[in-house]
Amino acid sequence: MMQSLWQSADPILRAYTLGAVILLVSAALLIWAVALLTKKDLSGVWRTYRGWLIMVPIAFAALWLGRTATIVGLALIAIVGFKEFARATGVYKDWVVTGTVYLGITALAILTAIKDPRTGDLGWYGLFMATPVYVIAALLAIPVFRDAYKGQLQRVSLAIVGFVYFGWMFLHLGFLTNSHHMYGYLLFLLVAVELNDVSAFIFGKTVGGPKLRPHVSPNKTWGGSLGALCVSLTLPWLLHASFPHFNWHELVLTGLIVGIGGQLGDLTISFIKRDLGIKDMGAVIPGHGGILDRVDSLIYVAPLFFHMVRWFQGIH
Amino acid sequence: MEDWTYEPAQDLNHDFATRLKGFPREPHMWVYALRSAAAMLIRGWLRTYHRFRITRLGKLPESSFVMVANHQSHLDAPCLLAAMPLRRLHRTFPAAAEDYFFSNLPRGIFTSIVINGLPFNREAKGAQSLAVCRELLSTPGNVLILFPEGTRSPDGTLGRFRSGIGRLIEGTDVPVVPCRLIGAHDAYPKGAWIPRPKPVHLIIGEPLRFGHLPKGRTTVQTIGDTLHRAVSDLKPESNVDPPI
Repeated sequence: MMQSLWQSADPILRAYTLGAVILLVSAALLIWAVALLTKKDLSGVWRTYRGWLIMVPIAFAALWLGRTATIVGLALIAIVGFKEFARATGVYKDWVVTGTVYLGITALAILTAIKDPRTGDLGWYGLFMATPVYVIAALLAIPVFRDAYKGQLQRVSLAIVGFVYFGWMFLHLGFLTNSHHMYGYLLFLLVAVELNDVSAFIFGKTVGGPKLRPHVSPNKTWGGSLGALCVSLTLPWLLHASFPHFNWHELVLTGLIVGIGGQLGDLTISFIKRDLGIKDMGAVIPGHGGILDRVDSLIYVAPLFFHMVRWFQGIH
Repeated sequence: MEDWTYEPAQDLNHDFATRLKGFPREPHMWVYALRSAAAMLIRGWLRTYHRFRITRLGKLPESSFVMVANHQSHLDAPCLLAAMPLRRLHRTFPAAAEDYFFSNLPRGIFTSIVINGLPFNREAKGAQSLAVCRELLSTPGNVLILFPEGTRSPDGTLGRFRSGIGRLIEGTDVPVVPCRLIGAHDAYPKGAWIPRPKPVHLIIGEPLRFGHLPKGRTTVQTIGDTLHRAVSDLKPESNVDPPI
């Protein structure tokens, strides 16, 4: 049964699953070897590793279960992500505003899952793209119905930013599941964005250089940033099998979107956290902080990649 | 342009276990929904399985107040919560011994989500926890449920009241409502695994106030004695049962 499941699965999903298993096992061996050789206390590293050990199987489980499970999983991440943002800003205390955004995110997930009633294509593209119109209209109507004005602009504005960024922009990732190349797109993005983060960290430590944005994120350097961009530009060529139909300019654009967009996403969450005066957006994932601290780069990259693909290749 | 002031949740970077213990709790939409649902289930179960009745001799104050009762069983806190209107449920906090009710994760989840328990540290005479209680009562509309005996009675009789209640109330005009639970010991005594289908009866007395007494050790003693007498004086036959 297991064997037939494995054989009937998408070859790209199989390849990435195998790669993830190999990566997790070798990372454990590497940490173990380093701990043994240097005799340093690596409990912090192990904590982070354990976080991955939980997140990676969950992500793959959703992908193996198929399109609907993936959409539901991504919508849950968006809801928890918005909740973290709402708790960090204080919007969460307004349950009507928060609930409206939850409903909006749920609507996005449903629109992603159903067919367009006119064309019969998977995913109701037109209404998905127009959802912010209705959610923003609903949010702005709340103070009117309440007949209240004090502090209302702030909570409505924050809720709009939260819905558009953490809900709508992020869930472009979910809409990618409507493509024949869903596994290639999604898995490439997940891997590329993480590798972009990791290489920024490694190049930052080894090459260094002047500070990238001293106020927003003082630990990041130009060396790390450019190193990550180089890695991200090469990656689409190395993993070309994820999207064999891509031409050279799409590969370059993918590299630029991940390399630059990923870092901008990271820095976006950084400035938000600094303005709010908090360290992490939450504490759901031990060793990683909140869910938004984990998917920060992905949020920024997802819609840019989506519309690039749609423009050149169409989404189905 | 003026900067916005944000109000991040106090427990933002706490892990799950720490958040359960943290107090005051941040209001949480999903927790409120769960607690309301659980409260209705518990009320239904108490009424059918324990034929739970409430006799109200006085009206509950609309302001913040303290409910004190005899402590015989784990049923006590759910019974007292069942006497509160649902709209005040999330602002009613039974003091729960931190060393017992927050000692492991499942218990902590139950205590904080279903019971809305206030983690009460019984060490050092509870001085720190009493400060938390005082803070709680300073917000209008909050209700604190306290068992002044400090622990469940092993045989169902009313034990000595600890000084905590007196030290909490002295020098304030916070109303205290004495309550008496009858039958909870037979229904679910200390050490029993599952509750037995025995009737439980709750009598809610008239609110008492101690604001006129000067602060001091004698007042602490007086408050404790007065409340002890008030609780033990509540008798089942003292009034006809109004409908719940």
